[in-house]
Amino acid sequence: MVDDEESSSKSVRRLAFSQRLSRWDVKVSPYLYISPFFLLFALTGLFPLLYTGWVSLHNWNLIGGQCKFIGLENFGFVLGQPYFWNAVGNTLSIFLLSSVPQVVLALLIAAVLDANLRAKTFWRMGVLVPFVVAPVAVGLIFNNLFADQFGLVNKMLDLVGLDPVRWHSDQLASHLAIATMVNFRWIGYNALIFLAAMQAIPRDVFEAATIDGAGRVRQFLSVTVPMLRPTVIFVAITSTIGGLQIFDEPRVFDQSGLGGADRQWQTLTMYIWELGWGQRNFGRASAVAWLLFLMIVLIALLNFLLTRRIADQGGRK
Amino acid sequence: MKFPRKLAALSASAACLTLALSGCGADAPKAAPSAETGKEPVTLTLATFNEFGYESLLKEYESLNPNVKIQHKKAATTNEARDNLTTRLAAGSGLSDIEAIEVDWLSELKQYPDQFVDLLDPAVEGRWLDWKTEAATTQDGHLIGYGTDSGPEAVCYNSALFKAAGLPTDRESVAQMLGTTWDSYFDAGKKFVAAKTGAAWFDSAGAIYQGMSNQLEKAYENEDGTVIAAENPAVKDVYTKVLNASTKDNLTAHLAQWSNDWVAGFQSQKFATTLCPGWMLGVIEGNATGVKGWDVANVFPGGGGNWGGSYLTVPAQGKHQAEAKKLAAWLTAPEQQIKAFTAKGTFPSQVKALDSEALLGQTNKFFNNAPTGKIFAERAKAVGATPFKGPKFFAINDAMQQALTRVDVDKKDDAESSWAKFLTAVKSL
Amino acid sequence: MSSIPMIRQTAGEGAAKTAAKRLNRPAGPGRGRTPGRSRAGAGGTRRPGALSYGALGAVLLASLFPLYWSFLVGSHDSTALSRGIPLLPGGNFLANAAKVFDSIPFWKAMGNSVLVSTVTAASVVAFSTLAGFAFAKLRFRGSKGLLVFVIATMAVPTQLGVVPLFIVMAKLGWTGSLWAVIIPGVVTAFGVFWMTQYLRDALPDELIEAVRMDGASMIQAFWYVGFPAARPAAAMLALFTFVATWTNFFWPFIVLDPSNPTLPVALQLLQAAHFVDYSVVLAGAVLATIPLLLLFIAAGRQLVSGIMQGAVKG
Repeated sequence: MVDDEESSSKSVRRLAFSQRLSRWDVKVSPYLYISPFFLLFALTGLFPLLYTGWVSLHNWNLIGGQCKFIGLENFGFVLGQPYFWNAVGNTLSIFLLSSVPQVVLALLIAAVLDANLRAKTFWRMGVLVPFVVAPVAVGLIFNNLFADQFGLVNKMLDLVGLDPVRWHSDQLASHLAIATMVNFRWIGYNALIFLAAMQAIPRDVFEAATIDGAGRVRQFLSVTVPMLRPTVIFVAITSTIGGLQIFDEPRVFDQSGLGGADRQWQTLTMYIWELGWGQRNFGRASAVAWLLFLMIVLIALLNFLLTRRIADQGGRK
Repeated sequence: MKFPRKLAALSASAACLTLALSGCGADAPKAAPSAETGKEPVTLTLATFNEFGYESLLKEYESLNPNVKIQHKKAATTNEARDNLTTRLAAGSGLSDIEAIEVDWLSELKQYPDQFVDLLDPAVEGRWLDWKTEAATTQDGHLIGYGTDSGPEAVCYNSALFKAAGLPTDRESVAQMLGTTWDSYFDAGKKFVAAKTGAAWFDSAGAIYQGMSNQLEKAYENEDGTVIAAENPAVKDVYTKVLNASTKDNLTAHLAQWSNDWVAGFQSQKFATTLCPGWMLGVIEGNATGVKGWDVANVFPGGGGNWGGSYLTVPAQGKHQAEAKKLAAWLTAPEQQIKAFTAKGTFPSQVKALDSEALLGQTNKFFNNAPTGKIFAERAKAVGATPFKGPKFFAINDAMQQALTRVDVDKKDDAESSWAKFLTAVKSL
Repeated sequence: MSSIPMIRQTAGEGAAKTAAKRLNRPAGPGRGRTPGRSRAGAGGTRRPGALSYGALGAVLLASLFPLYWSFLVGSHDSTALSRGIPLLPGGNFLANAAKVFDSIPFWKAMGNSVLVSTVTAASVVAFSTLAGFAFAKLRFRGSKGLLVFVIATMAVPTQLGVVPLFIVMAKLGWTGSLWAVIIPGVVTAFGVFWMTQYLRDALPDELIEAVRMDGASMIQAFWYVGFPAARPAAAMLALFTFVATWTNFFWPFIVLDPSNPTLPVALQLLQAAHFVDYSVVLAGAVLATIPLLLLFIAAGRQLVSGIMQGAVKG
């Protein structure tokens, strides 16, 4: 507390000045603290966003440069392309097939990790190992697993007497395979995020629940999950935003990187790459990029509202 | 803090962009003052991909020209190199002093001759095979690149499978049997498949199409830029022929080239022949390690074919254009190309190199000691005129390969419906 | 979920102050209200049964298998992939590793990766915690809207930004230098979002008020109260950022030169040939993963105990 024993006359003037300083400190500090992010974002996020918006309104060849201003013609053209909607469908499908299991499995794994295990460090760090495996290795491994004629998975299906699955020809099968690659990488990561939040729940809440007679599963559903609400929302939003932009995994799924001969697994980011770097049509690629951006914002918002609702049910507020 | 400086740089770049936005077409980089090559120390950057075989050559050049230091930049695959080139051309800076390019990119890059230094020089006239230089020359006579290697094609075959099918196995007889036309090649295939060895004749429809379409004079576009892929009867003709041979006559192994299944197919001996350019020999040897019987026949359906081959270009962005041109000319001289060939098997495109002793005496142990130097030299000379490829070649060819894969590998479409999808794709370009 | 008011309600002001002080200095014996008993989580002090270990074992197997598989292929030769891989390692790993060191500037790339990852992780943690502190605990005009804006920035696809960002880097003269890789990653929206959300619950408002009434400025409040409270989440963020930066390929590949690469870019060079020897490529991938595994072993224990420290509020 302020030491009133200091000599009053000197301290009055100092107090007045320091009061003004402190008030200025309170006003300005927040903006100062968030400024590094926004300054950097202006450079690496806002500028590219506006630049691409500008490009999307023109006829623009990637090498040749800018030509005529054509307004929203690129958008109109792209929205009329069956390949665009195909990419939207693929993106949503892969997103759902990867995000939903990711969140659910991560929660379950975190619940198991939360217990009083022996060799905690080993188990907890172990689930993060997939995150460090180099993408080139992941691509090679999963391509080997999911090759149509000589892949390991099909060989095992054969052993059990089932028909081989055409991972590279069938649309849904390719989505499953790619979702598996994505899940492999991110489940452990999300599990640790949930674990950190779970460990922060005060223990007396569980003690009270046990006294009330709730079993482990009941406790998990009615106590843990609702108390994790902010974290669940966080994970839902970040995995939505990431999941709609999946690019690396589908690209290494075959040797040409175009998303399959019938675009079976071409996501929107791959479509952007094809338009821009394959066809050199920078204007159309930018239009699709902007549409993707708007789509992500919309879906993330939806996801946020949905998750908030779900996490509210069964929670005590 | 460095912020003010960065802000200034940022607003400068924004201003530059707005200035550039005034006219159609990118600002071609201003030609650097073409200083004569002097004795001042200079560092040149060289960008290649795959394997050019230049490692020891660069050291040699540095010792011959002590004022020059060379930094060699390697991209892993041609696609990556192409993406890299595209990004840096679009950004207007960042390219190396010498950029290697693939022959397939020329059709598009020739649209922007201002981005590349004109390398025409009486000193190198007649150095390369005609079709090689022609591909890199624009309609105004601007030479964009110096040829490095080329990909003359022959037919590689698995003599063990031939034996099992009761067909001849020595190189000369096989060349006779395969004949010089595509029909004779397919007929030999029908004979092979009838013997039911469990293997197919070739790996995929896409691979055969590659060989056939490269012999068409004009496939997808006219010189003036109009797209004729949809109406050109030659294209539809080749398409139908390839798919008939694949599906109706059952000559294909349904293995898309470069896929995991294709690599494994070598070990499981799933197909008896494949069209092979010189650089493919190393790939086959690697994939088919332990498999005995591969050989090379000195023949190619349709006469001669070329797949691949690179050039060295000097981007106009560069600051040391004269020095770069000198290095490029040196690297692509016949003597140096032979050295690269001995190191990494990149087959020369220089006329003198094709007649050299070192080349003609080359044999390949894995391929039954075939005289590969002689074979490919003869194949190179048999290559006809270069097909015309316009700026949209890449995209249209990709669409065609996808159409073939849909029928051959994926088995999702039949020939007609796949063709319809191809037409839609072409229209959208 | 602030526990100080709860303590104040149940145990009075004195206990609340004590708890607040303890939160300030988490290191020490007998923390929390249950000295001597370790945090055991939802399951209580009861040790989990075989089912839990079984499930975890399966998960670990799936997680570690690809790494082991890479090592397997890296210890045989190129035919291993196409002919079917035996289950035991071969003896070829050291030979392949030697090839890796010969073909690419491995050590230089590793040094670059260490530098870039460390600097990025440190700066992301610093700036994100600062920004998170502001968003979570300080009241200022527009904070809600700005936070939403931060989250929205994550939606900007990276492919969009490649050409404009490259142009910016070229104008600043940074293409080919490590700055072009470090600067765009210096603070991330994910980090800000993560720290905001964590600090909201983990840092009691009363603590800040208390220390401000003691005469601390904003920055001192952050340093003495905010940062320590954020430590567990900050440690996790540091680890995640380090690993993500280490394995990042796309942007460094575009902007760096092979004379000055980071590790993933250098590894890609192993595929520069018509015929790719994948046993060498995977040996390289395993070698690139080893430093991260070492980091896990070293930092893992710290991290796990850090996660648990954050729990001392009940």
